[in-house]
Amino acid sequence: MEDFEPNIIGFLCNWCSYAGSDLAGTSRIQYAPNVKVIRVMCSGRVNPMFVVNALQQGADGVLIGGCHPGDCHYQHGNFLARRRISVMKKLLEFMGINPERLKMTWVSAAEGRKFADVVNEVTEEIRKLGPNTKIRRKNEW
Amino acid sequence: MESLVISKENFPELINTIIKSYRLFAPTEEKGFSGFNIIKDYLEMDLSYLNSRMPPKAILFNQTETLFLMEPGAKGSIKSKAISNEKSAIFAIRPCDAKGFRIIDPVFLGDVIDPLYKANRDNSVLIGLSCNQPDSSCFCTSFGDSPASGKYVDILFTDIEENYLVEVMTEKGKNFVNNFGRFFTPAPPKEIEAKNAKEKEAIKLIKRNLKVEGIEEKMDKMFNHPIWEEYAKKCIGCGTCTYLCPTCHCFDVVDESTLDKGARVRTWDACMFPEYTMHTSGHNPRPARMHRLRNRFYHKYSYFPKNSDVIACTGCGRCIRYCPVNIDIIELMNRVSEMEL
Amino acid sequence: MVDQKELVKVAKETLARKDVKYIIGYKKGSYGFQTSAAFAYTPKDVEEFIFTPLCNKNLAKYPLKEEKLPLKRGEEEDKRKIGLIVKGCDSRAISQVIQENGMKREEVVLIGIPCPGVIDQKVIEKRFPNQSEITEVTEIDDDYVFTIDGKEQKIPKQELLAEVCKTCEYPNPVLYDIIIGEEVEVNPKAEYEGIKELEDAPLENRWEYWEEQFQRCIRCYACREACPLCYCSTCMADLLEPQWIRRSVNISENTAWNIMRAFHLAGRCISCGACENACPMDIPLMELNKKLGKEVKEMFDYAPGLDIEAKPLLGSFNPDDPEEFIK
Repeated sequence: MEDFEPNIIGFLCNWCSYAGSDLAGTSRIQYAPNVKVIRVMCSGRVNPMFVVNALQQGADGVLIGGCHPGDCHYQHGNFLARRRISVMKKLLEFMGINPERLKMTWVSAAEGRKFADVVNEVTEEIRKLGPNTKIRRKNEW
Repeated sequence: MESLVISKENFPELINTIIKSYRLFAPTEEKGFSGFNIIKDYLEMDLSYLNSRMPPKAILFNQTETLFLMEPGAKGSIKSKAISNEKSAIFAIRPCDAKGFRIIDPVFLGDVIDPLYKANRDNSVLIGLSCNQPDSSCFCTSFGDSPASGKYVDILFTDIEENYLVEVMTEKGKNFVNNFGRFFTPAPPKEIEAKNAKEKEAIKLIKRNLKVEGIEEKMDKMFNHPIWEEYAKKCIGCGTCTYLCPTCHCFDVVDESTLDKGARVRTWDACMFPEYTMHTSGHNPRPARMHRLRNRFYHKYSYFPKNSDVIACTGCGRCIRYCPVNIDIIELMNRVSEMEL
Repeated sequence: MVDQKELVKVAKETLARKDVKYIIGYKKGSYGFQTSAAFAYTPKDVEEFIFTPLCNKNLAKYPLKEEKLPLKRGEEEDKRKIGLIVKGCDSRAISQVIQENGMKREEVVLIGIPCPGVIDQKVIEKRFPNQSEITEVTEIDDDYVFTIDGKEQKIPKQELLAEVCKTCEYPNPVLYDIIIGEEVEVNPKAEYEGIKELEDAPLENRWEYWEEQFQRCIRCYACREACPLCYCSTCMADLLEPQWIRRSVNISENTAWNIMRAFHLAGRCISCGACENACPMDIPLMELNKKLGKEVKEMFDYAPGLDIEAKPLLGSFNPDDPEEFIK
């Protein structure tokens, strides 16, 4: 499993987490390259089915980044996301899909360091879980 | 037609011998749920079943079937999918479900031949098992068939206490039986009589009857009758009746792809879904559930007999048994039959 | 049990109201232990109404299923109300839909019936598979009594009672205009016993369990169509652009569909069991719904379908919601 490089999809909110990841880059902080970022306008934009779809299409984990509570550009999108994701985690867990494959973080535009740390941490945790095989599409016809 | 017998003692060995040279589909049971599966040993088989939940049409006409494969880009290509010619036998198929194949044959083997269905059909031997215990929703006798009819199978087995009576109905069946000749002995007349007695008993158990006489002509005059609206009101528009029907054969063709490969796939579709008739423009010629429900019954009892001379219903009773809202084809069709116009 | 005469009388009175189009209730089914939805437009239709332990369908679906075809020129929309017979669960469904703005309170007249529990269709049909004659079941004390082939059957209630009814917390309608019959006592049995075993099983075993269940799914969408809370005009599952789940029937797509369905009922499912009843492949869908119901109750102290003024669970938030999983 040592050689396994997890494939992680990151849904980052435009106003905080995405800017945070940008800062990590401009600050030249080195961190794991496993997270493939998709910018969304708000973490509240992330339909929990995105997560399922990512897992289906070959992701080993999903990271959702939003603003700190109270900082949402749209007042409360991240609060709504928090509820949805916590329910989705419970559902995945009950179905026997490891809920640890679904991660969520609050990263502000000023927290480049934190973003790098979170990505490193998440990558290592998902590396330990190994490749996701459970609801992955086989794409064999 | 040739009648043979095989004793129940030798029966397990026969099955295990067939498994060696054929892919054998047979009913298995798990948690009160019967279905046709490929078995590897006689013991997996369960013959105490009434009928499988899913009709065996799913074996020859898969719910999801790949038509061809493709690769994108400048060097893109299309590759047809290899057609398997593995020999299969479907054991213990009920006469009603076997009739289902006879009904969908003109669709897939008519003017245009569907190579996948044809290969599956040609490579499989249908071995029927007479139904000795029909249930409350069975009505195959309404169409002049019998729970022990061998008309639609290659070989028909009938359970007659210590033995199985084996009736060989077709050339294909004969070749199949010849491969396993050592298991069978010619049937003495008393065994044939025993089968006939069983058949009569089973027919007696079928209590419900659908009056098919003159229904086609009747329906020609009933297209705008309020009865369709009446039933459509309680229909919830799910696909249970069509997916579980041994004669429903509608399908949808979709492309599925990833970045570097893809395929054109055929999946079952159901006329009870609004998407079934939805046009690209957004116009839907069957906009309401009433239109869809009416179409389902017209297709089975009017359009199909007009095109293929057979009512597209075998009386297996699945749509009645599993309809979540009690839409009962016998009740509805009998009302149509008895209606004075 | 509700007196049939009283039911007919109340339904007739309601139907006589100028602002009521028709009433949806139950009538005898076509065979065996079936009952059917009845749409009564005239007092004569109402005569057919029954309410027995076999009335296990959720009628709350029907007002939502009403199709509004485009009006012809000069035609005016019929804005009269729909009358509906509701049990406890049906009334919660209606209440939840109203809460979500899926319909307006003034569109329906609810005739509430306190419900002592209904029979599981699949269980009774399995026990008496050859019953083709229409059979009436009555509840006497703690038994169900009916006649088969001239022989009286007396079966303890618990053996035939639907799983959801055994743990029902709201057998009495929570929302109604008229109520018939006396309130029933609430069953004190713990609601989430049924899923405990699965919850405690290791992750891998749970997946094996569900894999086996979803493998069977034929995607007929009966669960969706039977559910009173699945009323989107176009379901995500039917969209082609974007396509959320493929049409192919395999374990990956089937699981995705079932996650989608269960998730969309989180904090909305009112435990009527219609999905599981409708499923032709016997997938235990209520286990998923119950689990989410339980989690929602624990995490957010929320129960759906009780208050038409409340905010929907996933459309609202509390700044103090649990967030220990967030990094």
